[in-house]
Amino acid sequence: MAKKGMSRRQFMKAGLLTAAAAALGPGVLKPTGLWAAETKIKGPVKVGYQTVMSGTLAGYGEFHKMGAQMAVEEINAAGGIGGVKLEMELRDSTLKAPDAIQNARYFVDSWGADFLAGVDSSGQALALAPVMAELDRVLMVTHAATEKLTEEHVFKNGVRQVFRMVTPTYQDGYAAAIVAKDLPIKTWATISPKYEYGFTCWEMFKSTLAALRPDVTFTAESWAPFGTTDFRSHINTIMDAKPEGLYSVEWAGELITMVKQGQQAGLFKQVKEVMLPVGAAMDVLEGLGQELPDNIWVSGRYYFLYPTNQANNDWVGRFHKRWQHYPAYVSEAAYSTMYAFKKAVEAAGSKDTKAVIGALEGMSLDTPAGTRVFRKEDHQAMYDVPWGLTKSDPKYPFKIMGKQVVVPALACFARPPFDGPASKPPFKS
Amino acid sequence: MQNRQAYLAAAALLVGLALLGLWGERFLLYLAMRVMILAIFALGFDLLFGRTGLLSFGHGAFYAGGAYGTALCYLHLSKDPLLCLLAGLLLATALALIVGFFCVRHTEIYFAMLTLAFGMMIFSLVWNLREITGGDDGLVGISRQAINLGLAKLPLRKEGQFYFLVLSCFGLVLYAVHRIRSSPFGLILAGIRENHLRAEFAGANIKNYRLAAFVISGFLAGLAGGLGVLLESNAAPFAAHWSHSSEPVLVSLIGGLNTLAGPLVGSFVFIVLKEVVMRVTPYWMLWFGVVLLVILLGFRGGVVGTLAQALGRGAKEARS
Amino acid sequence: MLESIVHVCLAGLSGGMFIWLVASGLTLIFGVLGVLNFAHGSFYMLGAYLCFSVLRALGQNFWWGLLLGPLVVAAVGYLVERFFLRRVYGLELPYQLLLTFAFVLLFDDLVKILWGAGSLGAPGAPGLTDSVPILGRQFPVYNLFVIAVGPLVAVGLWALLEKTWAGRIIRASSSDREMASALGVKVPALFTAVFVFGSWLGALGGGLAVPYLGLLTPGMGEQVIIEAFVVAVIGGLGSLKGAFLGALLIGLLSAFGTRFLPAFDMFLTFILMAGVLLWRPQGFFGEKR
Repeated sequence: MAKKGMSRRQFMKAGLLTAAAAALGPGVLKPTGLWAAETKIKGPVKVGYQTVMSGTLAGYGEFHKMGAQMAVEEINAAGGIGGVKLEMELRDSTLKAPDAIQNARYFVDSWGADFLAGVDSSGQALALAPVMAELDRVLMVTHAATEKLTEEHVFKNGVRQVFRMVTPTYQDGYAAAIVAKDLPIKTWATISPKYEYGFTCWEMFKSTLAALRPDVTFTAESWAPFGTTDFRSHINTIMDAKPEGLYSVEWAGELITMVKQGQQAGLFKQVKEVMLPVGAAMDVLEGLGQELPDNIWVSGRYYFLYPTNQANNDWVGRFHKRWQHYPAYVSEAAYSTMYAFKKAVEAAGSKDTKAVIGALEGMSLDTPAGTRVFRKEDHQAMYDVPWGLTKSDPKYPFKIMGKQVVVPALACFARPPFDGPASKPPFKS
Repeated sequence: MQNRQAYLAAAALLVGLALLGLWGERFLLYLAMRVMILAIFALGFDLLFGRTGLLSFGHGAFYAGGAYGTALCYLHLSKDPLLCLLAGLLLATALALIVGFFCVRHTEIYFAMLTLAFGMMIFSLVWNLREITGGDDGLVGISRQAINLGLAKLPLRKEGQFYFLVLSCFGLVLYAVHRIRSSPFGLILAGIRENHLRAEFAGANIKNYRLAAFVISGFLAGLAGGLGVLLESNAAPFAAHWSHSSEPVLVSLIGGLNTLAGPLVGSFVFIVLKEVVMRVTPYWMLWFGVVLLVILLGFRGGVVGTLAQALGRGAKEARS
Repeated sequence: MLESIVHVCLAGLSGGMFIWLVASGLTLIFGVLGVLNFAHGSFYMLGAYLCFSVLRALGQNFWWGLLLGPLVVAAVGYLVERFFLRRVYGLELPYQLLLTFAFVLLFDDLVKILWGAGSLGAPGAPGLTDSVPILGRQFPVYNLFVIAVGPLVAVGLWALLEKTWAGRIIRASSSDREMASALGVKVPALFTAVFVFGSWLGALGGGLAVPYLGLLTPGMGEQVIIEAFVVAVIGGLGSLKGAFLGALLIGLLSAFGTRFLPAFDMFLTFILMAGVLLWRPQGFFGEKR
């Protein structure tokens, strides 16, 4: 018995060493920082992309992938970035912070990524920011919406490596309030996610709307935990409070479920106005189809029929041809991210992080969602996304926006101190 | 003879890890730290699970206790890393003492379900006390300050520096757990697992021994959590979730129960396997599941062999 | 206010009946085999996806899906028990947990490979898609149907276990395995049969969830499995009567808690679970094992 134990332990020890050596091998051979410092673009430009690919939100990962992969194919077909190839590797972020950090470190230290992109959850984005400063690579966030990322990490703490391609909570909270101020109703209630995103958006909506419309009151709040599948008690809470307006930042599958159950309960007949800041997301539009009620306000971080110009129309057409899907907002963000890297690298003449940051700051980029400008102070991309009232259209198997209202990004992103006193609505920070 | 072999193996492992710390590249150091931190978590866990026979599904809560204690101390009291770790250990131990007080009344599946319930209560608290814990965003921005030794300062900021703190903790825990296992206390724990009635006849108050094992494992989970915060620079609520509590269970089962090497091998396999599988396929869960099945069924002799070996060694230690 | 109480009550009942449908199979398998099946949530998920595929293949008819989908899952359950689980009965409880956990991972990715990672919108059940007004507020007919199906399944299980020859053997084997074996019961075959039946029950819950949720997502199994655990524990591990009442209790508690207690949280559910375990570890109706 003792003999067997010894041989087993020796076996395990040998295994440990071989495996460690195997892991060390490719690491030693890989080209690292040395080349990156040169001014000429050398070797392929490598982008490490992480997004959620497991669990109930795995569909978002698919949408990210479609956009990112399409951009890589297009860019390489047109000669790459400054003459070199663009390479991308995709990893499952699992929505957990330690996994996001491990992915980022793998990308940079082991795979040799020049840039990172992706990230769905706010917690992950906040956890990654200091790591990006240490790894000294640019991270372009394409989904996580927390305003803390750009306000605190980039603006206050000076983590200059982090940029964000999509609209933050400002669009969900402030822009919604600016649309709501013109609606002829006086009471609002919410069913929103029971985590930071839900609390923050409702707070932004309330504070701005209350200041713009002192006659408005907020009558009920019902907070639905992550993973809620039965919204009936939440819906009853709202129906008992009898508000005229319902505001909800539920999103993805949970929003689909909430709308379906609200329909069954007659919720949308009782309330006069409904605002769903993430209601125009493609998974929601497709998932609800004709079950999405008419004449409710929806928005997103990109809406596939806005802006109505040739560039966007062409892109949506190409996307649909390639994937048999209309683009989701994360697809557009992932797609535009690759082009942002291309433009910045070509402008800087190098993939060196410092040079690329310099090129990205204040850079203006034409994307399917319109012209984006990366604000120098907080690295937030500024672009307009419309709010619109839902209606049916024979051309699509789902509801689209009819009447649209565009709250300019400058009006609702302009939180002090970024643009000084020019910020119009009385924001409370 | 066997003991000397074991000491030699442990020394070789620690020296190898130290050399890795001096010359390894950054990602390798990071992975090695992840493995060591998980191993600290699992070594403590195995004292409860493998040694005492109590399967806990709530130890993520104590890991989170260590993590949040460390992070809160950093944000509100002191930035000294050792002091922060100490705060984390205090919180984790206090939690383990309270939760353990209730849980050790039961064994087997009832113990597992009780720890699951308490663990999820703590997860729920961490998620909802957003003023203190930051809710789902967690606590972020914890950077590693230098350890102040009076005359000199020991910097930790770089991976290569912090690595040696983790390695020291790992070495200390390895030694401490080895001592605990071979102490009379450790033998009583094994006795509880084998046949708790006989241990009661021997005059040991079983519940107190179980509680002691519970608290020690909670303490080590807290140490892992605190080191995890310093490594990742944030504390996240999912640390307390049952899915995280299942990690040391998996690690113990993969590596083998009630041995010193088991948690080490298990942690190594758990982290490195996932990392390797993720490089090859996006369907990492599928392949991870297949590998678990293979370890369980294909190497069935291995699992059973480990068990038999553990029994044999337990008896041997009892004699020496 | 009255309409709210009635509607919250109905929501709690239908929610509770759902947990019961999932927890029943879990409880049956634990009661007879002594295995806590982590993969039960995966059977629920597979039941939902297979139901969806069948209904799509057979002209959007949900009822065909509900009939055939769970049968396929029962076959999967057979494979899992016969070729995997059976080989670890001799080992300790944790190894059985590990095995079923491996299947959770495996099935999660399998669903993504076969059906895609995105969520799938599902149609309603033919004939039951309307809502009826109850005290001036609408309630879906399908949920009333679920509230009726739950007790029907409970009565069916009771009749099966108490009134049939097979049920007597199952009960005999779960209370004393050696005795049953000595009396000539083929215990391995019985275990297989019970596991297959339990998988079918889990998949039936999944199938019924298709019109109820209106949405299928990979990972949907993990959302229900912990709730089913809680219910099974509160009722008493292995007790079907306990699981039924436990499910009702949890369903109503979370519905009323959500509506009338803003601070309500799963915290309270787990306090309840811990309290029951401390006060009466065998649950409301379980027997001390």
